[in-house]
Amino acid sequence: MTTEPKAVQWALILLAGAFLGLFLLVPLASVFAEALAKGAGSYFSALREPSAWAALRLTVLAALIAVPLNLVFGLCASWCIAHFDFRGRSLLLTLVDLPFSVSPVISGLVYVLLFGLHGLLGPWLAKLDIQVIFALPGIVLATVFVTFPFVARELIPLMEELGTEEEEAALLLGASGWQSFFRITLPNIKWGVLYGVILCNARAMGEFGAVSVVSGHIRGKTNTVPLHVEILYNEYNFVAAFAVASVLALLALATLAAKSLLEWQIGRQRRVDDTLRTEETVHGY
Amino acid sequence: MGIELNHITKRYGSFTALTDIGLSIPTGELVALLGPSGSGKTTLLRVIAGLEPADEGSVLVDGDNIAAKSPRERRVGFVFQHYALFRHMTVFENVAFGLRVRPRGQRPSKDEIRERVMRLLTLVQLENLARRYPSQLSGGQRQRVALARALAVEPSVLLLDEPFGALDARVRKELRRWLRRLHDEIQLTSVFVTHDQEEALEVADRIVVVNEGKIEQVGTPEEVYRDPASAFVYQFLGNVNLFHARIEDGRPVLGPSSGENNSGPEAEPPLAQVFVRSHSLDVHTHRQGNEMFGARVEHISPAGPFIKLELKATWGDYIEVAIPRERYQELGLSKNSDVFLAPKEMQVFADNYVI
Repeated sequence: MTTEPKAVQWALILLAGAFLGLFLLVPLASVFAEALAKGAGSYFSALREPSAWAALRLTVLAALIAVPLNLVFGLCASWCIAHFDFRGRSLLLTLVDLPFSVSPVISGLVYVLLFGLHGLLGPWLAKLDIQVIFALPGIVLATVFVTFPFVARELIPLMEELGTEEEEAALLLGASGWQSFFRITLPNIKWGVLYGVILCNARAMGEFGAVSVVSGHIRGKTNTVPLHVEILYNEYNFVAAFAVASVLALLALATLAAKSLLEWQIGRQRRVDDTLRTEETVHGY
Repeated sequence: MGIELNHITKRYGSFTALTDIGLSIPTGELVALLGPSGSGKTTLLRVIAGLEPADEGSVLVDGDNIAAKSPRERRVGFVFQHYALFRHMTVFENVAFGLRVRPRGQRPSKDEIRERVMRLLTLVQLENLARRYPSQLSGGQRQRVALARALAVEPSVLLLDEPFGALDARVRKELRRWLRRLHDEIQLTSVFVTHDQEEALEVADRIVVVNEGKIEQVGTPEEVYRDPASAFVYQFLGNVNLFHARIEDGRPVLGPSSGENNSGPEAEPPLAQVFVRSHSLDVHTHRQGNEMFGARVEHISPAGPFIKLELKATWGDYIEVAIPRERYQELGLSKNSDVFLAPKEMQVFADNYVI
């Protein structure tokens, strides 16, 4: 145990608590307080308002496309990185992290420069009558880019720790690559996958910067929930703004709960694995 | 028939793990690949299994070249050092896995699978633990599950990578006796990797001594122990003392050169390595004859039927000697006693070759 005096311990705990309260809990509570300031009736009618409803649908749709894509990308990338020592492996690792280090606004802008009307591929896309920027494809692309690292980042260390022996064993027992993946690898990483998916989803639904650049803010059409909150706020429609924002806050809380549940699960599995790896045999064989 | 390896070479970048390995293992034998860590023995086993592709050479199992086949087509049973059991499956499911993943046409029926798995679990004496998970088993039990799992697919060869390496001494002994019995029962061509010479000598029909990616010697345990083909094999098998010696008149003289006959470094007589096993040294309290050399007792471990003495030779080398308890009592030795040693048996190598 530590040797700090009790007073120091309490002072530190209080300090951390006050900090968390001031910067996290109070704002969170104020979101709900503001949203319900004019009663539950106006809260729900603000949510039922057509453009709010459209924003919610668009956010869910974008996440429904972006998250599965990133799940597949993440699985492939982490599989390659954990299983093979190939040329460009560290480059791939760096690329996976790229979205974390690039400002979301820049990543949105890149897509505008690439797919916009005056962009590199813009005229060609216009000829084919495909609209990427200021439409759903652009929003999905921006979301995919920003949320790319979540699944891969979670799975790379997990797969590296698992090693390849069980898969080799499955192969030698006659399993095909797919059988080995679905029956051996996937069950071993399922909690990590779920963890990555939940974080990825939270970010996909909450993303503001990148989506803001490519969306065009067309009310009822290309506004996602975060963008819609901003618009409502700028129109001084505080109850509606906070009501819609509370949906995102609830998503954050649900994500947090799911995250701690999964962390507990992963911790439990890791303990089981550790006993499996301990090579002592106290009770004989 | 059995397994035949021809000119197997395996490189990792500039490092050559295996150099032109040729080996033939008769059907039904239990063979040990014995060598220090890093000698290439596990790589060789993985090449046979198809987990590592060989850069050159062919692997024949029962006359069939399997070098081009993937691991799943080779029908080899493989037991990993750390078992590699499927941690999310029960013991039963682990053993049944190889049968369940077969294509529909070749897959046995549910009842058949159940019957075969239970038969195997009985064979490895684990029929009561079928519903346990690997994490609920001891190391020895896990090892036997791994073995049953490997046998379930009716392999033509069984490969074991350091099968007892991760177990404690008592379990290891029991399990290797049990493996020997099991092998006698099922008569499956088996190769196991080990760095433990005692294990290899006790269990195997034939020992293949591997060092630095090459085979040093192949032979029965007795041949390898009695007639080591190289200095390396001699040193690796059994407790050995190594002496540096000069060859004078075709005879080795132990210890550093006396300097009397030497006129200069050019006239140095050829050097040789002399190996004497710790139980091949006679201990006397008085000098009798010229073959003897002096030493001082540094440490005595008095446990067991043989007394182990750690001695320091007059020229500073440490020597290990094992003498029977009666002889020890007869001599009345204690720490710091001065004694004289006479080799009863020795093997002389000059440049790794027998003289």
